[in-house]
Amino acid sequence: MDFWFSYITLASIYVLLGLSTNLLVGIAGIFSVSQAAVFGVGAYIVAYFLMNDVLSFLPALMIAAIGCIGLNILVTLPALRVSGDYFVVTSFGIQLLATAVFTNWTGGTGGANGLPGIPPPDLFGKALESSSDLALLCAGGMLIGCLLFWLVMRAPFGRLLRAIREDEVAVAAAGKSVLRAKVSAAALAGAFAGTAGGLYATFLSFIDPSSFDLDSSILLLTMVVVGGARTLAGSIIGPFLLLALPQILTLVDIPTTIAATARQLIYGLLLIAFMLFRPQGLAGEKL
Amino acid sequence: MLALQLLCNGIVTGCALGIVAVSFSFIYATTKIFHVAHAGVYTMGGYIAWSLLGHGFPAPIALLIAMAACTALGSLIQAVLYARLEQRSATHLVILIASLGTLAVIQNILAAVYTANILRFDLPWSSHVVTIVGNVRLTLTQLTTVAVSVGAYAGVMWFAHRTILGKQIRAVASNPFLAEITRLRPRRVHVYVVAFASALVCLPGVLVPLDFGLQPYGGVTPLLTATIAMIAGGVVSITGAFVLAIVITELQNLSLLFIPGEWSIGVTFFIFVIFMLFRPKGLFAAAR
Repeated sequence: MDFWFSYITLASIYVLLGLSTNLLVGIAGIFSVSQAAVFGVGAYIVAYFLMNDVLSFLPALMIAAIGCIGLNILVTLPALRVSGDYFVVTSFGIQLLATAVFTNWTGGTGGANGLPGIPPPDLFGKALESSSDLALLCAGGMLIGCLLFWLVMRAPFGRLLRAIREDEVAVAAAGKSVLRAKVSAAALAGAFAGTAGGLYATFLSFIDPSSFDLDSSILLLTMVVVGGARTLAGSIIGPFLLLALPQILTLVDIPTTIAATARQLIYGLLLIAFMLFRPQGLAGEKL
Repeated sequence: MLALQLLCNGIVTGCALGIVAVSFSFIYATTKIFHVAHAGVYTMGGYIAWSLLGHGFPAPIALLIAMAACTALGSLIQAVLYARLEQRSATHLVILIASLGTLAVIQNILAAVYTANILRFDLPWSSHVVTIVGNVRLTLTQLTTVAVSVGAYAGVMWFAHRTILGKQIRAVASNPFLAEITRLRPRRVHVYVVAFASALVCLPGVLVPLDFGLQPYGGVTPLLTATIAMIAGGVVSITGAFVLAIVITELQNLSLLFIPGEWSIGVTFFIFVIFMLFRPKGLFAAAR
């Protein structure tokens, strides 16, 4: 039973991350391999506040979300001014830089050893310690995220984002600010990633740089690509399917030393195969 | 004295990364594909050379075979993956994601075969130290790197401006539509371009690890520096990419006087941000 709870908890967190990546890659059309970095910043912020007993869980989560909104705006703004391809460089740069900070800033992040002993989340004075409570909390967070995503995509703002994907020039000619819309999408993506980071830190009670490196960013991208870009269903299917993959791999007899490598290899193959044969993913729209 | 030594080290690494930047700019200027998987080709070259040297092949032969393998891999990626995607008029984003997937596949195959640990080359001559001036010392590997890189740069300039294929490539790069009309067959030229650039990137791919060792995921940072150099140099300019790669590596090395080495990625990225803010079209763009 505990296995199912932790699967649901983790999948809920990754659905939030999938929504975040989907907003950025699928909807705003910005290639990103740095979502794991934003995710990590959220996780470290919440860990800091909870471990030093400065704030309780919800305010800490709020600050993490706001911090990640700021971070995402900061990284998208300069690159959006120039050309789409330059964002690839920005994105790789942010990711490598974030890994460097997580690994080397020993005072704040615990360095490569990570931060152990993050206290469990508390809601209105009550600590949530059992795995079922955590699963409920994260599933609740996921539902709120999904609802928010659905509402935003139905709102005029969502239609504006869709229009930008169809024809950027036409939108600009109609007097709408393309840049502002894209930056807003990035900001929302930051809020999702920051929240997911906070939930992740309290769920595992231990974080280290390896959870937020380039490989995790590639995993997030794979989730969106497999599930399907630009739809809510896609952002839910992808994480649930891909998080089951490690379990499936344990059935196949692979030496444990190369298990992580084998997983990354499969993500890479999935990316190529979906781009070649089904760019819209399982339940998405044209990428 | 330390500054002078760092300056010399910077020139060595800069020359090598300059060739990475030149090869990447060759692909990007012609095919307009941001070929992220180039980092994988770069890494694979080093590993193949390492294996061949381990089996007792002489160094030049190992290098040539590694270059041939890189050429094959590069043209395979272009002909099988990119060309197919372009035929279906896939968006830029789709090609980019496919390229990232290819990078992940190459890196992890290497990691599965050779493990993720750092591998060192075992060449007795490579660590032979030569004193340049005063206390400044360079290893024979570093001198070879500079010589080969400058030679390769000269070779690329000659190839691009003097040979028929080079001129065809530049024609396709400057106007694909016109090239199509005049029967240049851009599709085929694109394969040649990626093949040529992959052979080229194998040189630094083998030379840099002689100094720093091999790692399956080690290709991303050099490629990032190289693409920053390419953008700062104005994307289409071969000289721009080569010179800016040296300048950026120099700045990175000199920053070691003030900032610990593990933050050098931050320095590189800071240079990129400065360029984005003040000179987004690059330094050498105006010349064309």
